[in-house]
Amino acid sequence: MSAAKHNDNEHAGPVVWCGIIAATCALLFVLDRTLELAVPFLLAIILYYILTPAMQRLLRLGMDQNMAVLSVGVMFVLVVGLCGVAANYWVAAPVDSWQDVFGRYINGGLAFVRDMLMALEEKFPILHQIGLSRTFNHRLATFTATFVQKHLTDVLVSIASSLPSLMLAPVLTFFFLRDGTRFKKFLARAVPNAFFEKTLILLHEVDQTAHRYFQGLLKLTFLDTTVLAFGLWAIGVSSPLVLGLIAAILAWVPYVGSILGCLLVVMVASTDAPGDALVAYGAIGVFVMVRLLDDFVFMPLTLGRSLHIHPLLTVLMIFIGGSVAGVAGLMLVLPLLGVVMVVGETLGRLITNPRLRARHRSAMVLRARQASVDLIL
Amino acid sequence: MFGFLKSPALSPRRLKLKESALFSALTPLELKIVDGLMHERCYLAEEIIFDEGEEGQALYLVMSGRVLISRSLDTSVEVVAELSPGEFFGDLALLDNSPRNAQARALDNCELAVFFRADFMGLMETDAVIGYKIALALARHVGSRLRDWMTGKPRVEAL
Repeated sequence: MSAAKHNDNEHAGPVVWCGIIAATCALLFVLDRTLELAVPFLLAIILYYILTPAMQRLLRLGMDQNMAVLSVGVMFVLVVGLCGVAANYWVAAPVDSWQDVFGRYINGGLAFVRDMLMALEEKFPILHQIGLSRTFNHRLATFTATFVQKHLTDVLVSIASSLPSLMLAPVLTFFFLRDGTRFKKFLARAVPNAFFEKTLILLHEVDQTAHRYFQGLLKLTFLDTTVLAFGLWAIGVSSPLVLGLIAAILAWVPYVGSILGCLLVVMVASTDAPGDALVAYGAIGVFVMVRLLDDFVFMPLTLGRSLHIHPLLTVLMIFIGGSVAGVAGLMLVLPLLGVVMVVGETLGRLITNPRLRARHRSAMVLRARQASVDLIL
Repeated sequence: MFGFLKSPALSPRRLKLKESALFSALTPLELKIVDGLMHERCYLAEEIIFDEGEEGQALYLVMSGRVLISRSLDTSVEVVAELSPGEFFGDLALLDNSPRNAQARALDNCELAVFFRADFMGLMETDAVIGYKIALALARHVGSRLRDWMTGKPRVEAL
C-alpha cells in the first residue's frame, strides 16, 4: 500500500522544464523548416476545433462517421460561400482598382508621417537642423525605388508557392475529423497498462490545451474586432469592421502583428481625413486603447486562462520563437509551449514514479512467463 | 436516405456492455456512442490494474476474466470483492478524482472496458440523456452498496 502512494500533484522540476523549453525550440526549428506544411496543418487544427461540435451532434443522431464529416464540410463551405455572397452585396464594389486604392492609402499614410515630422521640426528646431524629414524622404525614395526589384518579386513568388499547400488544409481537416478519436485510441492502445490512466489524462490535457487555445484565439479575435470597430466608427474612420477584423487577425502574430495593424489603421484614417491629423491621432489612440484592453482584460480572459504559463516565460519564449522560426515562430510558440508543457510534465511524472515503473516491470515478467509456459528455456 | 435514424444492431461487445447494470438503460444508439468512447485493455493474471492510493481517473468494466479487489490493513490484506464479467469497479473515479481506496488485480487473464472520467464529463455536457442514465445507474449502485454496508453484508466494493 505504502509503495503505491505517491504525490500526483508534484510540479515539474528544473530538469523537466529545461527539457520542455529545449523540445519547444527543437519543434520550432522543425516548424521553420517545414513551414509549407505547418501553415495548412495549423489551419486544419483550427477548422477541426470549429467543426467538431457539429460533427458530434450528427454522430449522436446516429449518422455514419464519414457521412457526418462530409455533411459538416459541405455545411461549412455553404456557410462561408453565403457569407462571401452577402459581403459582396453589402460592401459596395470600389470604383478604383485595388492597386489604386492600395496606392492611395499608402500615400495617405506617408503624407501623415511627413506632416508629423514637419510639425515636430517646427516644434523642435534641432530636428530640423539634423534634417529629420529630409533623411526620411531620402530613405523612403531609395526604398521605394528598389522595392519592386529587390523584394516584391520574392514576396509574390513565396505567396504563390505557398498557395497550393493551403489546399492541404481541408484534406487534413477531413482526416482529423474522421480519424481523430480512432488515432487517440490507437495511441492509448500502444501504452503499457501501468501507465495507461496517466496517458489518458495526458492525451485529454493535450487536446484540451489546444482546444482552449484556438477557441480562446477566436474569442479574442471577435472581442478585438468588435471593440476596435466600435472605436474607429466613433471617430469616423471608414470600413471600421473590416479594419477591425484585419487588425485583430494580424494581432495573432505577437508584436509584429500589432505594429502592422496600427500602421494599417493610421494609413486608412489619414487618407480618410487628409487635412485633419486629429483623426489619425485619434485612430492611434483607439488602437493603443484596444491593445491595452486586449493585453490586460481580453487576453487573460481568453488565452491567459488556457495555457497557465508564467508571463515572464511567455515573453521569453516569444523572443525565442521569433529568433528561431520568424513570424511563424512568434505565432505558434505559445500553443506549442502549452502542449509540450503538458506532455513534458506528464512524462516527467511517469518516468519519475517508481511504483508505476515497478508495475510495468512486473507486467513484463508476467508476460514473459506466460509466453514461455510450455517451453524449455 | 434516413437509414441513419434506425437503431444500429448490437455487436457481441455491445451486448456485453448492455448486460452491465451501468449501461442497461441505454438504447442501441446510445450504447454505440458510449462504446465509441471506451478503451479496451487486456491484463494478465496477477497484473495490477490500479493501486490503492492512486488518483482515480477511470471506471473499469469486466468483459471477461475475474478481478480481485483488496485493501491493505495494518498487517494484512483484506479481500473486498471478486468481480466477474458484467460487473464494474472504480466507479467513484467517474464522480471525482479522489484516491482509489482499494487495489484492483487481475485474477485471470482479463479483458476490461475502460470509461475515462473526462469522456463521461464531456458526455454529461453534450448528451445529457446518456449522462443522466449512466449517472442514475451509478447512483443506484452506490446506494445499494451503502445499504449493503448498513445491513452489515461482508461484500463492500469500496472504490
